Amino acid sequence: MGVLENKSRARTFYKYLSKVYDRVNPFIWNEEMRDEAIAKLDIEPDDHVLDVGCGTGFATEGLLEATEHVYGLDQSAHQLEKAYAKFGKRGPVAFHRGDAERLPFKDDTFDVVWSSGSIEYWPNPVDALEECRRITKPGGRVLIVGPDYPSQSVFQKLADAIMLFYDEDEADRMFEDAGFTDFEHFIQQNRPGSPKAITTIARVPE
Amino acid sequence: MKEDLMDIICCPLDKHDLDLEVDERDDEEVLAGSLVCTECGESYPIEDGIPNLLPPDMREDAPA
Repeated sequence: MGVLENKSRARTFYKYLSKVYDRVNPFIWNEEMRDEAIAKLDIEPDDHVLDVGCGTGFATEGLLEATEHVYGLDQSAHQLEKAYAKFGKRGPVAFHRGDAERLPFKDDTFDVVWSSGSIEYWPNPVDALEECRRITKPGGRVLIVGPDYPSQSVFQKLADAIMLFYDEDEADRMFEDAGFTDFEHFIQQNRPGSPKAITTIARVPE
Repeated sequence: MKEDLMDIICCPLDKHDLDLEVDERDDEEVLAGSLVCTECGESYPIEDGIPNLLPPDMREDAPA
């Protein structure tokens, strides 16, 4: 069990991470990678999109360019403060506090459920993926961005100690266990040597 | 939160409908109040217009 696989520790971690997140994050996951992933979703202007673990609102901002019906959810009040500063509490995004593994939305609510940079902190990622599937309409899409398992052993040790990382085989297993049958992964990397992101787009069965 | 959000939100624990109890609102939004599960009775606060739908064990005042 990694040190962040405990929700109160994750809360404390994020309280401090939120201070620097938007400065650190672009080295791993930048606007270009984000927009490439958003483009793969073919979001229509009247689609309703939820950003699970929206944090400071980095992906939320990109999603807002595709549709005006954007919802954000995060467990961390401190992360959300940064998002409120960008969009306002009563601006274009409907924000909620909530837990990815116990989502407060009804079945078949959203056309697209997006989550980037959050799955690595979920104690039970399959539970959260099942929840994403439940709240997405049949035929809708779930997109998850996580950190690809590093190939060098020194980073593997660090990865195993700190948080969940996964390769394509592990991603296959998680998405199958969560009830998805139709999904594909792609790997994104800012530049050679920087950490890779693994992005999965899953289609919810009709 | 806008009141039409009631169409899509539910109790995070048992997924049943919520009842909205309004303490304060303006022309467009509910600013303060509670969301109460019609099944289990758990109450979720609306704080400065943001619904806090964290399960009770994850709230700030929950023991770690």
